[in-house]
Amino acid sequence: MALVEIADLKVSFRQYGGTIDAVRGISFSVNEGESLGIVGESGSGKSVSCSALLRLLPATAEVSATKLELDGIDVRKARKEDLARLRGRSAAMIFQDPMTAFDPVFTIGHQIAETIQSHRNVSRRDALKEAEDLLLRVEIKNASDVLNYFPHQLSGGMLQRAMIAMALSCRPKVLIADEPTTALDVTIQAQILQLIKKVQAEFGMALIMITHDLGVIAETVDRVLVMYRGEVMEQGPVQQIFDAPQHAYTKELLASLHASFEPSRGSDNKTPALELKGLAKAYRIRRRRGLFTDYSDFHAVREVNIALPKNRIVAIVGESGSGKTTTGMMAMRLTDVSRGQILVDGQDISALSPEALKPWRKKMQVVFQDSYSALDPMMTLTQTIAEPLHIHGIGSAREQEETALDWLERVGLDRTYANRYPHELSGGQRQRVAIARALVLEPDVLVADEPTSALDVTVKAQIIGLLKKLQAEMGLSILFISHDLSTVKSLTDSVVVMYRGRVVEEAPTERIFSDPQHPYTRALLDAVPATNPKNKRERTFLTAEQIAAQTPRLTTLQAGIAPHSDPQLVAIAPDHRVEAYVTN
Amino acid sequence: MLGYILRRLVSVAFTFIAVSLIIFLMMHAVPGGPFDANDMPVSEAVRAKLMAQLGLDQPLYVQYLKYMWGVLHFDFGVPYQSPGESVLQLLSRAWVPSLVLGGLGVLIGAPLGILLGMAAALNRNSWIDYLASAVATIGLTIPVFVTSMLLILVFAVWLKWLPASGWPNPERWILPIIAYAAIPVATYARYTRSAMLDTMSRPFVTVLRAKGLSERRIVFQHVLRNSAIPLVTVFLPMFIGTATGSIFVEAMFRVPGLGAYFVSSIETRDYPLEMALMLMITFMYCIAYLLSDIVYALINPRIRVGGAE
Repeated sequence: MALVEIADLKVSFRQYGGTIDAVRGISFSVNEGESLGIVGESGSGKSVSCSALLRLLPATAEVSATKLELDGIDVRKARKEDLARLRGRSAAMIFQDPMTAFDPVFTIGHQIAETIQSHRNVSRRDALKEAEDLLLRVEIKNASDVLNYFPHQLSGGMLQRAMIAMALSCRPKVLIADEPTTALDVTIQAQILQLIKKVQAEFGMALIMITHDLGVIAETVDRVLVMYRGEVMEQGPVQQIFDAPQHAYTKELLASLHASFEPSRGSDNKTPALELKGLAKAYRIRRRRGLFTDYSDFHAVREVNIALPKNRIVAIVGESGSGKTTTGMMAMRLTDVSRGQILVDGQDISALSPEALKPWRKKMQVVFQDSYSALDPMMTLTQTIAEPLHIHGIGSAREQEETALDWLERVGLDRTYANRYPHELSGGQRQRVAIARALVLEPDVLVADEPTSALDVTVKAQIIGLLKKLQAEMGLSILFISHDLSTVKSLTDSVVVMYRGRVVEEAPTERIFSDPQHPYTRALLDAVPATNPKNKRERTFLTAEQIAAQTPRLTTLQAGIAPHSDPQLVAIAPDHRVEAYVTN
Repeated sequence: MLGYILRRLVSVAFTFIAVSLIIFLMMHAVPGGPFDANDMPVSEAVRAKLMAQLGLDQPLYVQYLKYMWGVLHFDFGVPYQSPGESVLQLLSRAWVPSLVLGGLGVLIGAPLGILLGMAAALNRNSWIDYLASAVATIGLTIPVFVTSMLLILVFAVWLKWLPASGWPNPERWILPIIAYAAIPVATYARYTRSAMLDTMSRPFVTVLRAKGLSERRIVFQHVLRNSAIPLVTVFLPMFIGTATGSIFVEAMFRVPGLGAYFVSSIETRDYPLEMALMLMITFMYCIAYLLSDIVYALINPRIRVGGAE
């Protein structure tokens, strides 16, 4: 018997000035123990469908269906007692952002025990004991400590594990995972996906994996449903979807996994467009002791050397906390520099006063991850794009507007968008505006800080394409900051891998993928989800200690430098440097 | 935590000194003095003698230091307008009615406001939500002397249920307490409503629903606890604002409270009383904010239990 049966489900939301049809008549079923993937971009109705299954939609939603059944219960007619059974026991859910999914004022143990006690008549003590066992089963080693932690004391990855433990607490028959790894680093994503598969097998549950990422689908499910604008485009076994996609949208999704790479042209001028020399950032940590204050330093970035050649694209890749964004912001002089030099076209700008810096600002621009907060909501697109020209006093007001309009077209938006405001645009369109604003001054250097991380896969591919096109046209040098190696594969000429505030490896992109030397680079590469279900595999994950232990060891003869107790960046091939211990 | 409290107490001391200086200087910067000719027709010689007696002939910094030295010994001087008692005696006598009426106003008003705000948040866009909005708007916009007048008109003049004014017997307290409660009810109704709606729109509430918790438990255990965090910080400062008396309410209901002295001490250039009142208010606000911050830290684990792993 099917565990989940949905037939002709329609969901619409009442809003000011009309209704929005989020789901337009979809049907699917999930059998016991089966894994179904629902893939689609934001707004495709994939999450809404599953929320409808647990009646989690807000009161403004109107739901209709010819059949909407979970575990043999008609969800539409479910009474209070039925709902309590459906939620948690029939189906449990894991959500996207673990940081906001726990109540901040209660401990993890309390929140898991409370779930157990609301479904079964057990004592507090037994519930906590069960919670501890569950935490151990999701591979949290210090489970008894974690019980007493508040959510803010745990990392995103740990919280997502705890969230999975909580979902398992009532032995649900189906686990619904709504973008469970989108908010996490790539290495953590791989660990969480593997964990979800493991517990699914152990507990014999069905799984519904909702995601926009085909890689996640390839790794986890048997059957796929492709959704687009509230409708099911196609569905079938996962291998069939990857090998013989029927629908144009599915094909586009798959194409975004396999973008081709063409190197940028480079330049004969060997002076780098941007060179960071021994650039470091230390934050002062204040620790209060009674009436007095102690200071200690936190080294966000430890003396990195990065060169961005003219007319090239270089990636800085690393997980959150690796110092990649701080490095980018220091390069732009948007964060104060603790030590080191920033050479733009050979000239050091690290100590210039704000006034002296102004002409340099014209030469270097930045694009941020969150396009929504990066654009002034009160300014029209033309005003936004023309503002840098205004600040630097380039051209008359008329000319500034004309240039802005030209740039709208250049980034692939229609001139009729001129008087629109940011909230009227989609995420991808806003990022195009942000790019236009950055490039309108025709800078030499662009720092792009995760510009595609918040975007859907197909849109992400378009933005990458746009950056490549503009780079080639303008001869730009781009420093592209990303947490994801697969994103930079089709875009950048070389890759700098950062880990814990240090550069641990640096090589041409192709070489990073074919011959990674540092254990952390390998871990990053290994974590990239498969692009075809045929290639999915078990992974082993390295702890920080293992990464340190596996750091390459070279003799002074091999490295050509003197021995040192700390790991040193050593050139092992032309353009390929890796951090290694150098010993006699 | 102890270190934090100590540091805050040190900063309270500095605030105290700064405020006392500013007030003292402003007090004396205003032209005129307590024995101006048109208020007090006395001869030049008498006036000089009075000034010397009260120490007003000395340089300002000497007057200031002398007064502050007295303050350190709980001696706030003698009020010019009531020389038969010390400032401290006057304050303790006049403060009782203000504290009782204003304090009860807040103690009754705040819970009522919280209940109203909760009901509004839980029944959004229903008649109760609109009622709460109406109460909040009326309570905050209609001046308290108008409310007081309406209360007297309705309950004392038309319905004849309650006495209109006076102090000693408790049935006379009811109307002023209602007048005092208007602002706490309104403020708390608004704060509670928006804090709860804000909490209820956060993702963790959906998670709580998805794991099968009853709506009751979600509201009373999780939403309330989270919403309370901003609410507690409003309480003490509001309590002090109200429990030091309102000149309007006390005048309308003829309560012999502290409120009137705030005005009369300035009007009659009653320097010792003026200083004492201002220092008292400053001190109480400093302590109120300190206590609020401590309570805030106690109920908010993100502050109580430090940093991430």
